[in-house]
Amino acid sequence: MATERSDIEQQVRAAASGNARVDEALNRRYAAGFVTDIESESLPPGLNEDVIRKLSAIKQEPEWMTEWRLAAYRQWTTMTAPDWAKIDLKPIDYQAISYYSAPKKKPKSLDEVDPKLLETYEKLGVPLHERAKLAGVAVDAVFDSVSVATTARDELAKAGVIFCSMSEAIRSHPELVRKYLGTVVPQGDNFFAALNSAVFSDGSFVYIPKGVRCPMELSTYFRINAGHTGQFERTLIIAEEGSYVSYLEGCTAPMRDENQLHAAVVELVALERAQIKYSTVQNWYPGDENGVGGIYNFVTKRGECRGDDSKISWTQVETGSAITWKYPSCVLRGDRTVGEFYSVALTHHRQQADTGTKMIHLGKHTRSKIVAKGISAGRSSNSYRGLVKVEKGAEGARNYTQCDSLLIGKQCGAHTFPYIEVKNPSAIVEHEATTSKISDDQMFYCRSRGIGEEDAVSMIVDGFCKQVFRELPMEFAVEAKRLLEVSLEGAVG
Amino acid sequence: MSSPFVQAMVDAAALARLPGSGIAWLDAARRESLVAFAAAGLPPPRGVEAWRYTSLRPLEQRRFALGDAHAAARAVDAAAWALPGVDGPRMVFVNGAFRADLSALDALPAGLTLLPLSRALAEDAEPLRFFLSRMYRARGDAFASLNSALAADGAVLRVAPGARVAAPVHLVFVGAPAEAELAWHARCLIELGEGAELELVEHHAAAGAAPHFGNLLADYVLRERARLGLAVLQDGAAAATLFRRAELRLDAAATATLHALELGGALVRHEVHASLDGDGARFDTRGVFAVRGRQHVDTRLHVEHRGRDTAGDALWRGIADERARGVFQGTIVVARGADGADARLGNKNLLLSPQAEIDTKPVLEIHADEVKASHGATVGQLDERSLFYLRSRGVPLAAARSLLTYAFCRAALDSLPNAPLAEHLGACLLARLPIRSEETPP
Repeated sequence: MATERSDIEQQVRAAASGNARVDEALNRRYAAGFVTDIESESLPPGLNEDVIRKLSAIKQEPEWMTEWRLAAYRQWTTMTAPDWAKIDLKPIDYQAISYYSAPKKKPKSLDEVDPKLLETYEKLGVPLHERAKLAGVAVDAVFDSVSVATTARDELAKAGVIFCSMSEAIRSHPELVRKYLGTVVPQGDNFFAALNSAVFSDGSFVYIPKGVRCPMELSTYFRINAGHTGQFERTLIIAEEGSYVSYLEGCTAPMRDENQLHAAVVELVALERAQIKYSTVQNWYPGDENGVGGIYNFVTKRGECRGDDSKISWTQVETGSAITWKYPSCVLRGDRTVGEFYSVALTHHRQQADTGTKMIHLGKHTRSKIVAKGISAGRSSNSYRGLVKVEKGAEGARNYTQCDSLLIGKQCGAHTFPYIEVKNPSAIVEHEATTSKISDDQMFYCRSRGIGEEDAVSMIVDGFCKQVFRELPMEFAVEAKRLLEVSLEGAVG
Repeated sequence: MSSPFVQAMVDAAALARLPGSGIAWLDAARRESLVAFAAAGLPPPRGVEAWRYTSLRPLEQRRFALGDAHAAARAVDAAAWALPGVDGPRMVFVNGAFRADLSALDALPAGLTLLPLSRALAEDAEPLRFFLSRMYRARGDAFASLNSALAADGAVLRVAPGARVAAPVHLVFVGAPAEAELAWHARCLIELGEGAELELVEHHAAAGAAPHFGNLLADYVLRERARLGLAVLQDGAAAATLFRRAELRLDAAATATLHALELGGALVRHEVHASLDGDGARFDTRGVFAVRGRQHVDTRLHVEHRGRDTAGDALWRGIADERARGVFQGTIVVARGADGADARLGNKNLLLSPQAEIDTKPVLEIHADEVKASHGATVGQLDERSLFYLRSRGVPLAAARSLLTYAFCRAALDSLPNAPLAEHLGACLLARLPIRSEETPP
């Protein structure tokens, strides 16, 4: 809030120099005051056009943004929630959700945090101050990460990279947002994307100028204002001609969040020769052993290789959430563009995951590669659902897909739903899938060499996932491996 | 607001004189099925997964007359159904109507019962009650409901326990030109007793250009240790619409093998649903579709492993040329507790023209952990190196392409034990292959 207010004061001062703009500035100031009022309490549960107008006003958005949201809302009201995924879900009452809430009541210190959660952090070796942040303890005092964020900002600014929150981008770079927002995932793309478009709270905005190789790996963690991206995150990454960026999302320790529904939208735009690498480690609260609680993670992620010779690569490690519904996709529009999808999805207890990708080949000589590894344990259900579509003009398109499932236990399910649609005779599309359990031979081999049962399982699982972990930035890979170990605890024996 | 197709079927049902009418349970089942069909209509273009790749919109606008009043008088040349290696008992249906004069049902081998459904209903309907009372309630089951409501005839076949029927039984469905576009619905019930063995050929043939609508629903029950060899040759009229659905239930140690070759028809849907209920049951399938022109052929294979130590190996090949569209949807389900299942599904396709389309969806649903399950699917072209090899030995390009295409498909038919029939199917396939000489080497 403090920064926002000083921003406005600055604007007032600047505006005062020109009489014509004084009124506008004063109005804004008034709006800010109004914000403070509202912010002390949440908007009541429910969703209608007034709620969206209020939300947009609170965020001080320009008129076009409000209209954009309203258009999305109007589409959403005509849509029904998808029912094709292999998930068992009680209907969600969208009118019972509050679409804007003041910062949540945070635990004051680590003492107030669930000991189970702390135990997990201990095992993952998360540094103490990070534990506090992850557990949702107010972290204003964590100077380390603030300073990290600040240095990072300077360095990025030097390179011309814009990396800020979506709300900030709407205010400070409206022309970019307007040009690209909704061009990859249109407002009415699907039920959850429409809902997100209407009520998105915040998210990241990244712009890499022409020819720039982003000097560091960007992650939400380093963004100073990433604190509460909320239930409806909206991320937009634009990589101009010849640029490169690697973006990391999420954190490797469980995020404590009581929210039930997360409907995020991520849009990537890669122009000519640009490359975007997007890595996710998702470990939202999965609910307990009996499937009580946990996050519904309904995410629309899509990247478009708009320019020739561009490349988008998705890597995801999904271990959290009660229900995951997520298909990071690539639209290969430019010629010779490349799309990649590497995924590890692990489900335990009563988790349900229906995840995969879509590779839409439009340009000539486009290539895509899919490597998906599913691990199911407990009473969970884990599905891969993927579409490879080769349109008429996609001369010489090539796809290779491999999806493997590993079953741990008798009560879980592992499913594969690949869709292959080919309209160009020069395309080559290959799909392979296997399902198996950890073989007794493998276990016996490890055990006979003195390796404990749990260690043996985690070794085998690690080997099973290697192909995907290799694609992750190194620190992430190390933590992802540890995360699988923690998530699989109690799965054997 | 129902479509012309649905309206025409419902109107026709009111006037239809179906065998066995007056039997209370049958009347009730037919009525209920018709209501279900009329209420649901044809599956919509979106939202029903099973019909994702086949649009029924053009069909919705067509009106078919129910049954052929002159079926008994249609002249059909025996050449239409003659198959080498198939000389056992024969049952011929012309436009859905049973033709005793064309059938060969005298001197049936010991243990084999084979009679038209109409006669079975007249003699003793009760044993058929279980099958004919079944309701199809899933979305997308419209044609099964329609069949249940309107099937006028079909085959009832039983093999007594332990009986081995050596000569293959031939079921022929011929479409013959008529004064109007006709719809026929046939229902077959096939039961193999414990340890029984049967070789069966389901044959769809054309006696001229007949744009009819055919709808076949067949139930197969294989008791313990029964063995069924089923070969399907679909060479219907180019303008025909053909919907077929086979439901197989296999008890312990029963074995079924299916070989299918899909060649004819304009709009064709072939569904095979198999449930491996008993321990050690096995169901292998081999199939080929070769489509061209504007053909649309949709194959849906659904195999459910329920017993322990069951096995299934599916090997399907498809080629699509010109403006045709070939669809393969294969699903393997391993139910909870079906330990020891060994399931494989392979689907390879060749796409030969820029206007053609192949859609394939090989699905695995696994609910048990002691399983071996895998699937693979490919869509591609002929191997350039193989083409080069043949050409370097003086084989013209067109011939080289045909040869490789033939070899690609033939692999799926080779395992048919009836050698003369396998040869014949191969020849049918070869006759369909494109010989396009105008092409230049790529």
